[in-house]
Amino acid sequence: MLLHNLRIAWKSLRRNVTLSVLIVSGIALGIAVSTTFAAFRHAFSKDPIPQKSDVLRYVRLDSWDPLKPYPGDDPSRPPTQITYRDMQGLMKSTIPVRQGGMFVSNFYVYPDPKVGRPFRELTRLCFSDFFPMFDVPFQYGSGWDRKADAGPDPVVVLSQEMNHKLFGGANSVGRTVRLADRDFRVVGVLAGWRPNVRFYDLTQNQIATPENIYIPFNLLRPMQIRTNGNTDGWGTSGASGFEGFLQSEVCWIQYWVELPNEKSAGAYLDFLNAYVLEQKKTGRFQRPLNNRLSTVSEWMTDAGVVPKQATAMLIVSLLFLAVCAVNLVGLLLGKFLARGGEVGVRRALGASRADIFLQHIVECELIAVLGGAIGILLSLGALAAMNAWLKTIAARGGFFRLDLSMILLSVGLSLAAGLVAGIYPAWRTCRLAPAMHLKV
Amino acid sequence: MLSMKKIQKVYRTDMIETHALHDFSIDVTTGEFVAVMGRSGSGKTTFLNVAGLLDTFDEGTYHLDGQDVSRLSDNEMSKIRNQKIGFIFQSFNLIPDLDVFDNIDVPLRYRRLPAADRRERIEKAVRTVGLLSRNHHLPSQLSGGQQQRVAIARVLAGDPKFILADEPTGNLDTMMSREVMDLLEKINDSGTTIVMVTHTPECASRASRQIHLLDGEVVDLNSLPPENADRSSASLASTLQ
Repeated sequence: MLLHNLRIAWKSLRRNVTLSVLIVSGIALGIAVSTTFAAFRHAFSKDPIPQKSDVLRYVRLDSWDPLKPYPGDDPSRPPTQITYRDMQGLMKSTIPVRQGGMFVSNFYVYPDPKVGRPFRELTRLCFSDFFPMFDVPFQYGSGWDRKADAGPDPVVVLSQEMNHKLFGGANSVGRTVRLADRDFRVVGVLAGWRPNVRFYDLTQNQIATPENIYIPFNLLRPMQIRTNGNTDGWGTSGASGFEGFLQSEVCWIQYWVELPNEKSAGAYLDFLNAYVLEQKKTGRFQRPLNNRLSTVSEWMTDAGVVPKQATAMLIVSLLFLAVCAVNLVGLLLGKFLARGGEVGVRRALGASRADIFLQHIVECELIAVLGGAIGILLSLGALAAMNAWLKTIAARGGFFRLDLSMILLSVGLSLAAGLVAGIYPAWRTCRLAPAMHLKV
Repeated sequence: MLSMKKIQKVYRTDMIETHALHDFSIDVTTGEFVAVMGRSGSGKTTFLNVAGLLDTFDEGTYHLDGQDVSRLSDNEMSKIRNQKIGFIFQSFNLIPDLDVFDNIDVPLRYRRLPAADRRERIEKAVRTVGLLSRNHHLPSQLSGGQQQRVAIARVLAGDPKFILADEPTGNLDTMMSREVMDLLEKINDSGTTIVMVTHTPECASRASRQIHLLDGEVVDLNSLPPENADRSSASLASTLQ
């Protein structure tokens, strides 16, 4: 019966093409706008590492000034990063299966003079666990090992783009790259790693692409590397110079742990609390105990990854779709009631009110699906334009996409819009008295 | 087959009440072919609508095929219309977008019959009315007579116990009218009860019984007082002309 109703609906649409185009366009416009803004918001909110988002935890400790809370919208939140001293303390735990602090710096890269001139490049300093912890894919080689962490060895992992820039895309594992004043041996080349949001470091430009160069964290002391990221500080250590910076209360390191289950997460939180209580004895951590062990999504929420405007625009676009659907009620009502004679015949031939209602709802849903398909195409165009715009301001493309979940959402919205637009006209039509509309 | 007792049907507006059927009683036995005649406004259409369960009535009782259908739900009435009653209309009432096959298929689909059964019934019905070669023609591609034959095939495919025909030859020329009446006679000969509203004496004469409606009541012209009989006869005559 559904196929039969679809066939009738298709014939009905072809009967009055102009009216049908008008109705389908109304739905298409509403779907295009709502899908575009839904995809816009989804680009920020979607889980960047769904396979591990529940086992990865971001660590925050409230080592802030005892006299005032860490600045921000919510005074109960601890600083977004931790100090170098605390990182060293946390690294002693054996509870996480993987862990590590990280920060970003800026280096001069000296390519082969035949390839190009020296240039500055953002470089991430991290531990060997960074790569397996975040499921970072490799094109050539792999990350370095824990021995290289301890060394620290002058090894480097390059992004696919950097490998292309320095070595023409060839397998560069074992070759040398000069960073600042040292030669680094290439141990791995990434395979196009492009998480939508740079979730592992939400303290800066959250939608930037991952860095192009990665070197061991522990090189910071021998090379006296300063962070190029955000720093939040409130107290000095008394010591001066680079060592004084490392021992200060300046928060500048992002710290992640991988905890395979809730039990280990509970144990690790106990460890954090115990660590802080121990530190309190030395005069640090004078604020109330306030440690956070956040999953990826919790951390993204706290960091305000999804712009408030994106949510507001999505709500407005859904209201626009509702207005489009409501505006179609009148058109559909006129179209259906004009068919009273045919309805009368069908009722005389045995159609129940439910049959008539279903027939007309199917027609509305066919209109909605057609409108939805056109709306999705229009939305693809709008997202392409937004990506082109983003490329000019954030040097990355393909940020806004219609993935399967967005397409399913659009189809769902289309069907809902069809229902909103069609339910009253279909109900009125099925209530027509057959005797009044039967042409004798 | 059809038994109506003291049926009252009143159409009400803010200003007036119109008694379309007044103490209307009729009995039609199984296998009968009854012609219903009467001038415009006499209640023929209301009778057809009530008899066909397309409209409700205010008072009285109505039994169809032994079942009291006086107070049925809309769904139950739809089911009876679909399974027991066949309608033939003056203006054919075929659905313009559907071809011959699909038009005949409409009531069968509402009966939720399997596809093979529907196809068999449709082909048999189309063969009976002699339109097998026109299965995929749209109504607009058929003559009036052919369209009425499709409408009859639509009834035949449903194999109803009771056919209500409203001026089935009203839009047809003489030759086509005869063909349609021949078909109806053939259907009646097979045992199907037919109630036909007509203005044509020739058509009415082919029924086994004629009844006359006047002001919403069945009348026996011979039993009417002379002035009423004259009025009724005159109006009947004028209508028949």
